Amino acid sequence: MLPINSFFRIFIIALLCCFTACRAAPPPSDTSRRIVTDELNRSVAIVANPQRIISLAPNLTEMLFALGLSDRVIGVTSYCDYPPAAKSKEKVGDTLTPNLERIISLKPDLVIVTTSSQLEKITRQLDQLQIPVYVTNPRSVSEVLASIQHLGDLTGATAQAAKLHSELTTRINAVTERVVSQPKPKALFLVQDTPLLVAGSDTFLHDLVTLAGGVSITADVKGYPQFSRETAIARAPEVIIDPGRPENKALADSVLRKDYATTPAIKQNRIIHIDPDLTNRPGPRLIEGLEQLARALHPSAFITKP
Amino acid sequence: MRRAYLNRNHVFVTLAWLTAALVLMAFVALTVGSESIPLASLWPALKQWLTHNNQLGEREVILFSLRLPRIALAVGVGASLALAGAAFQALLRNPLADPHILGISSGAAFGAIVGIITAAQLPFAPNLTRAVFSFAGASIASALVYRLGRREDDPARLVLAGVILSTFLSSLNVLMLSLVDDVRLRNITLWLLGDLSNALTESLLFIGAALLLGLGVLLTQARALNLMMIGAREAFTLGVETTRTRWLVFAAASLLTGAAVAAGGAIGYVGLLTPHLIRLIAGADNRLVLPAAALGGALLTLVADTLARTVIAPRELPTGAITALLGAPLFIYLLLKRR
Repeated sequence: MLPINSFFRIFIIALLCCFTACRAAPPPSDTSRRIVTDELNRSVAIVANPQRIISLAPNLTEMLFALGLSDRVIGVTSYCDYPPAAKSKEKVGDTLTPNLERIISLKPDLVIVTTSSQLEKITRQLDQLQIPVYVTNPRSVSEVLASIQHLGDLTGATAQAAKLHSELTTRINAVTERVVSQPKPKALFLVQDTPLLVAGSDTFLHDLVTLAGGVSITADVKGYPQFSRETAIARAPEVIIDPGRPENKALADSVLRKDYATTPAIKQNRIIHIDPDLTNRPGPRLIEGLEQLARALHPSAFITKP
Repeated sequence: MRRAYLNRNHVFVTLAWLTAALVLMAFVALTVGSESIPLASLWPALKQWLTHNNQLGEREVILFSLRLPRIALAVGVGASLALAGAAFQALLRNPLADPHILGISSGAAFGAIVGIITAAQLPFAPNLTRAVFSFAGASIASALVYRLGRREDDPARLVLAGVILSTFLSSLNVLMLSLVDDVRLRNITLWLLGDLSNALTESLLFIGAALLLGLGVLLTQARALNLMMIGAREAFTLGVETTRTRWLVFAAASLLTGAAVAAGGAIGYVGLLTPHLIRLIAGADNRLVLPAAALGGALLTLVADTLARTVIAPRELPTGAITALLGAPLFIYLLLKRR
């Protein structure tokens, strides 16, 4: 009994030494670091001009590339397919399950993530390893623009961020000016048709519909819940917005025509199919989605007067 | 000791009560929902639906294109699961046997997930692909359990084989879930929780046919099952073709499970719990337990599904979450009561 016990004790002590050794390892505490607050109000210590950035979501990759930071992006997810140059970057797994070892081995000086409960664990692990993680949390179109500006501040690309911000703002304003005097159709935005998932009032998709000159019929719920189809029908949507891949368009169209046959949207033949990458990624291309959506909602407002 | 001969009156009264309760519940389910439709307009809506099929209003669509098919699906899925559970419990002489414990639901779920993932590559309707794959999964799992646990008079071995297969298939399901993208992940997760919101005509036909066939086959074996509950050897000496009965009951119960899981996802507890409740009120004779379990399972599932679509309306809950929420405490109550 005794030898095992004492062996065990030595083992534990050795183990503890290991841990304290790890703890005692000098943190990369150069004075060039500054403390910033991310979009979840976490304090993050970040080097002044990060050169090795890993993006853990396609919308963030699109932001970084739009800011002209493609050379400094060293890792992206397997979903990051835009711009095409992003596809040749090192993959660190997908958005929901990034590979921690791959991330560490790339020695990033900044990891950017977007809110999603699955990422809580990896955020904490990276925190413990003293790899700075900046969390973005855009819940509206203006917060998407704010995120772009924050990324600009973080990376020193302030000028590009300001330029992109003002360009996108101009485009948003151009859309809202055109649709402001238009009647606002009641819109059903389908996150998914079966089972029916919709966008609630606290989502950027809700904001997108509003800015494009529509009124979401699912503003009484929050988040992206499963929703009653009979209520969706009873609220008589005048337009149905279906972000879906072009190759599935015909099938989706026939299903929607059957499921929502009694609604004004189908009677007036108003189903809007839109590229999901333009609406479902809260990045710079969301404004392109906004323009396409507004155009489809209010075609007459976009006829250029001679 | 139960009566050797079933009292006709007892059979009639039990089945009549259950049928009446089911019809009443179906009526309730038809009249409640996230949109309120006054009772008074039910009759005119029905007339409109029957006579002017081309020009249906919103009221008729909600009542007869959304609620009615969903009620039918809940009834079909619930009846199939409870019937499969009752058959397995009798055959294996194990009160814990049900399609879930035996791994047959996991097999169906495995098939369905493969179906959902590959649906985009195959030139068939996604729902059909899912149904076919799910049924194939149930059949394969069932055949495996049957082969692994075939030893003549050892029901424990079969349950053990089922539990192991179930665990193995569940881990495969988790593996596949961690490999798919987030849209499909959400899709599959919702479906795995049991979802009756999409009652398609082809699902209803499929589950209806499976239910009729399964019930028919099982009723021909009810008397043999009664004898096998004493023990396979004893049943054999009393003239039961035990191998044939086993095979038929297994095939019928797998068909029922595969069809139910394909149509409604993995809805738990109905198959396990309903036969216990039925035996409590109707005795242990399978000639009565089987049809009564079908009615009881339909009733329970319909209650759960009606709750699922009304309690937090206009949001909806997965039906399987409600059956588990109601089923687990009820099962514990039964356990305590039996002591």
